[in-house]
Amino acid sequence: MNERAPREAASDPDAAELKTQIVEYCKRKGALAVGVADLDAIDLVAPPGHRPRDILPGVRSVISLGVGGQTQGAWTVPTKAFAYFGSTEGRAYTIAYGCSFFIENRFRARSVYCPPDMDPEGGARIPLQSLKLHAELAGIGARSLAGDILLHPEFGYMYYASVFTELWLPPDRPLDSNPCPAPSCVEMHRKTGQTPCMKFCPVQCLSGDINERGEQVEMRYDMAKCAELTQQYEAVPAMLADAFAAPDGPARERALSDPDNALLWYKMSVGSGGLLAQCFECMRVCPIATRAPLADPIRRATAADKKA
Amino acid sequence: MPRGYSFEQIGITEAMIATYADAVWELSNNIQIRRGDPIRKLDFTDFETQRPDLGMSDAQIAAVLGLTRDQVLAIRVVTEVRRFRRRNYHRLYELGRGNRFRADRYVAPAERAGFREDALALRAAVRFDPARVAEFVRAGWWGSDTLARWLTSRATEAGARTALSAPEGDLTYAELAAQVERFAAGLDALGLGRGDVVCVQMPNIPEFVVAYLAIARLGAVMSTAHMPYRAAELRTLLAHSRARALICLSATKEYAPAVAALAMKSGLPALDHVIALGDRVEGAIPFVRLAGIEGAPPDDLVSAPVPADPFLLLYTSGTSASPKAVPLTYQAMLGNARAGVQEHRIKADDIVLSAPPYTHLFGLYSFHLALAAGATNLLLPVFTPPDLAQAIAKERPTVLFTGPAHLAALQKSGLLDGTDLSSIRLVICSGSACPPELARAVAAKLPNGRFTQLWGMTETQAGLYTRPDDPLEISATTAGRPSPGTEVRVVGPDGAPLAPGEEGEFQVRGSLMFPGYFDNADANAAAFTADGWFRTGDLAILDAAGNVRITGRSKDVINRGGVKYNPRDIEDLLDAHPGVMQSAIVPMPDPVVGEKACCFIVPRPGSAPALDELCAYLQERGVAKYKLPERLETVAEMPLTPTRKIIKGRLAELLAKGN
Ligand code: SF4
Ligand code: SF4
Repeated sequence: MNERAPREAASDPDAAELKTQIVEYCKRKGALAVGVADLDAIDLVAPPGHRPRDILPGVRSVISLGVGGQTQGAWTVPTKAFAYFGSTEGRAYTIAYGCSFFIENRFRARSVYCPPDMDPEGGARIPLQSLKLHAELAGIGARSLAGDILLHPEFGYMYYASVFTELWLPPDRPLDSNPCPAPSCVEMHRKTGQTPCMKFCPVQCLSGDINERGEQVEMRYDMAKCAELTQQYEAVPAMLADAFAAPDGPARERALSDPDNALLWYKMSVGSGGLLAQCFECMRVCPIATRAPLADPIRRATAADKKA
Repeated sequence: MPRGYSFEQIGITEAMIATYADAVWELSNNIQIRRGDPIRKLDFTDFETQRPDLGMSDAQIAAVLGLTRDQVLAIRVVTEVRRFRRRNYHRLYELGRGNRFRADRYVAPAERAGFREDALALRAAVRFDPARVAEFVRAGWWGSDTLARWLTSRATEAGARTALSAPEGDLTYAELAAQVERFAAGLDALGLGRGDVVCVQMPNIPEFVVAYLAIARLGAVMSTAHMPYRAAELRTLLAHSRARALICLSATKEYAPAVAALAMKSGLPALDHVIALGDRVEGAIPFVRLAGIEGAPPDDLVSAPVPADPFLLLYTSGTSASPKAVPLTYQAMLGNARAGVQEHRIKADDIVLSAPPYTHLFGLYSFHLALAAGATNLLLPVFTPPDLAQAIAKERPTVLFTGPAHLAALQKSGLLDGTDLSSIRLVICSGSACPPELARAVAAKLPNGRFTQLWGMTETQAGLYTRPDDPLEISATTAGRPSPGTEVRVVGPDGAPLAPGEEGEFQVRGSLMFPGYFDNADANAAAFTADGWFRTGDLAILDAAGNVRITGRSKDVINRGGVKYNPRDIEDLLDAHPGVMQSAIVPMPDPVVGEKACCFIVPRPGSAPALDELCAYLQERGVAKYKLPERLETVAEMPLTPTRKIIKGRLAELLAKGN
């Protein structure tokens, strides 16, 4: 529990019980981990305009929940295919959406599921809220050397969603320790200066340092390079600019409709809507993402069997 | 428009973008650096000191740089778009399923080898009728054949079988494949690759085969120069083909091709390399050095040759000011050869001997058949009657590819009678129509074999042939029936098909057909009819059974005062004259009747027949008076093609010069 919590906890002795009910609801619906982030801590980190109060003025609690990544089989498929279904955040959003109804129905406190998209005032790469920050402060993930992707010691790699509510809930603390880098990564870094995620990133946008105790010293991430690989909305204006600059009809036709560009049009019109999601190569080679005790459905089922 | 404001409204200029782009880029989320784990440790003081490195919001950057939030937003978004590299996501296509990205091995598609401009120009000449192509593919005439695939199959299925048998030793298919791989790696190391033309001037030796298959392995295109070609012809071919390399001998007895090629290199901008087999030549790359390179050429989907690729660029003449270059694709050529294996009944245990050189398509056809069947190629480096007779006697080939002139030379030198031909089960004779008497004489010498004839051109490979089961009279007098996928017709002067038995222009079309001459619009316009038939330039008669008798060349026809006749029958009679070794009749211009016949002969040693004597001889044999030659020229030897066909054009030139 966060140190700032006792004052409100004393005034609302049922808060812990309410929180338990909410956590159970989310887990029943498929969340692997659920926590409550300290609102004050969020405000200290999130820039103005991107704080929970900027969405829900009366917010008193931020619930963060994580769902598992893909199946174990998914890690084995070609990257171009993985990129389509690698993200499972949709499931997390559905649970968060249901959770906000659950709180309103059950506890009569206004709630909202945190919109997971971009801030239209901030341009395409600026989100309304940092779901990552909520999850980190709620203690269900820690920043990794792979571009700050959150990892969990038990569940590995998760997708997160948040619920803002006017119900006060006792906040959790961040994780006591960071599972990243894994011991094998420390070993590899000692020998080669790179961890698996750094070595196998297709655009080499990751680097970092690790100390003698095997802890992160510095994480360096060229997000622009990563985004280039996985988001292509900027290819559209570039394609159009090429078409304008084309010297003749055939060149213009090629600028607009060569096989790559035709694919962009397809995805923007009748395709799934996604251009490419993430490339996930850093996670594919990450021992925590792929081999944490409850990292995927097969491991979780096996663990459940053992428990039974 | 940042938040609805125009750039002008918020004072954004290109100067401002240029000034602040880097700083905005660094301070924004585009570049993120985190030291330690401040948020997890709830150390907000540490976090605050790191904020510029971790990535700031536009408003925070604006405060640092002294700009408005909207100005930062505009600068950031413009910079993100301008710096966005569009083609990076292709890196993902090769990943997954156990494949990981390796920074040290990755080559971006844009940096991978592609077709050069010259190669694209050649490919632009490869155009077929789409409806016909669909038909050829459906019928299986065009398939998945490439030389590289054939060689790999032979080396895998029957690697221990002898592929090449040469005076200096034998090579199995496995050994040949390994040598080809090494030499291809050597050519690759020189920067040669898909679509590049490599000219080869070598006799029928193992190195020719290795070079040919290595060129094909790289997806490059082989052009050939016949061994008798000298600097003038070579220059014409190298210039027209835009060859990037020449592979030749360091020297022959009377000529040094590598030295000659190096001397002309400065005038041939495309020619990067001269590769010489034999003694070291200053400035040339030793063949053996490339053959010794360990490794393999690139082996990926982009580099691999495919059946639709052109792989040969052969010239019908090395002398013309406007050379006729024939691009040939795997689909057309190897499909035709694959069908030929069945039709000629070539088998894996055959030993195939080609008297014509591999620089000529007929020689290459023999090689294609043997490779398709997994048979042995018995190499005859240079044809002379004694060498051919000795190869047959000693190496016991089972299939002999030959021209009538080779057989005539063998016969006239007396070697036909003295050579044991019992090993031969099939003779395939092509290059020109074989005189029936010669065909019968050869057939009579084959106790276990069949004599067949084949008609083909560089433009078509094998268009007609008689089959091994055909009666001798068919094989002795005709070139047979069309090969699978080939259609033929004989047309009159008005272009309408003629009835069987009538002589007319022989036309061909089908899956074997070349796409058109490279870089020679005039030749293409003349070569094809509007409905896609190729005008062969040959005269022919079709019989009721579908066999075609080639009766001559249309341009050899003599038009004497409006009466046209084909001199071929007269030449056949003259060839049988006891004082004549070889004869050829060409038209000579005449101010009164238009054209008259001039007869060129090579007399037999000790003979010197006169014109009167020859005319009397012909008249005795029923030749009409208007067909008698009206001038006689005696020459020591005839100008011959590599298949030893008389080049009548040269005789006409001689005549013109003489006049
Ligand atoms: S998602 Fe791909 S590009 Fe981005 S950091 Fe991971 S491996 Fe690199
Ligand atoms: S591979 Fe995973 S655990 Fe290892 S350093 Fe990278 S993110 Fe951390």
